[in-house]
Amino acid sequence: MEALLSGYAEWIQASPFGVWAAQSSLAYPVANLVHLLGLVMLVGGIGVVDLRLVGAFRSLPPATLSRALTPVAIAGLLLMIPSGSIMFAADAKSMADSATFQRKLVLIAVALANAILFRAIWGKRLADWDTSPPLGGKSMAGASLVLWLAVAAHGRLIAYS
Amino acid sequence: MKRALILLAALAIPTAAAGHHGWSSYDTEQVLRLDARFTSVSWSNPHGHATMTYRGKQWHVVLAPVARMEARGLTPAMIAPGKRVQLVGYPRKDGTTEMRIERLTAEGKTVELR
Repeated sequence: MEALLSGYAEWIQASPFGVWAAQSSLAYPVANLVHLLGLVMLVGGIGVVDLRLVGAFRSLPPATLSRALTPVAIAGLLLMIPSGSIMFAADAKSMADSATFQRKLVLIAVALANAILFRAIWGKRLADWDTSPPLGGKSMAGASLVLWLAVAAHGRLIAYS
Repeated sequence: MKRALILLAALAIPTAAAGHHGWSSYDTEQVLRLDARFTSVSWSNPHGHATMTYRGKQWHVVLAPVARMEARGLTPAMIAPGKRVQLVGYPRKDGTTEMRIERLTAEGKTVELR
């Protein structure tokens, strides 16, 4: 798995895309800003839904809130993919060697799996969530918030580890 | 589920902060002032870097982000390998042969990198 990542890193860093990401004076800072915007939308969107599902903001209808904010979170995630790819490609070899970055990738995979599973298992229960909030669903919503915050923390800490 | 949450919380705690980029990992008490020639230069993000020989050892030299170097009038040609540059910087505290450059003079022009 690690060999695969470092092989890919070497290839992408040497590619025209990687060279552009590393040497352009605009690409990296703009990618950084877009990545931050994506993060704000992702955590700000799904984090509020998660808090609602674990029991906060009882006056807000969960299904309506989720319908409004889940697309914001998904749009944020979609912004983070290309912007993150640019920052990865610029410095791919040291990224691939970074234990913090490796853990971040694992956390993203777990967080995405958690989100997809939540929709599959509990997606239709949102309308009557408060009548009998499922413990499994509440746990997954709580885990979602913790996971995405952990992803964000790992991203920020790559430069310091 | 609770156990899983604890595991996730543990994962979120960063391991020993080695601090590659952290300011604290450089010894600002020990100012290096060097007349140098780089052996290689990487004009790249998230920050440029170069290599040079100093006191018989190969040193890794940390520069600044491309946008900042360009904004302050530095060009890759000015610090190309083999050209004379004057450096003011700090070495790593842990003894690694790496220095972070505060300011650099090339072709008679002094550029602040911080």
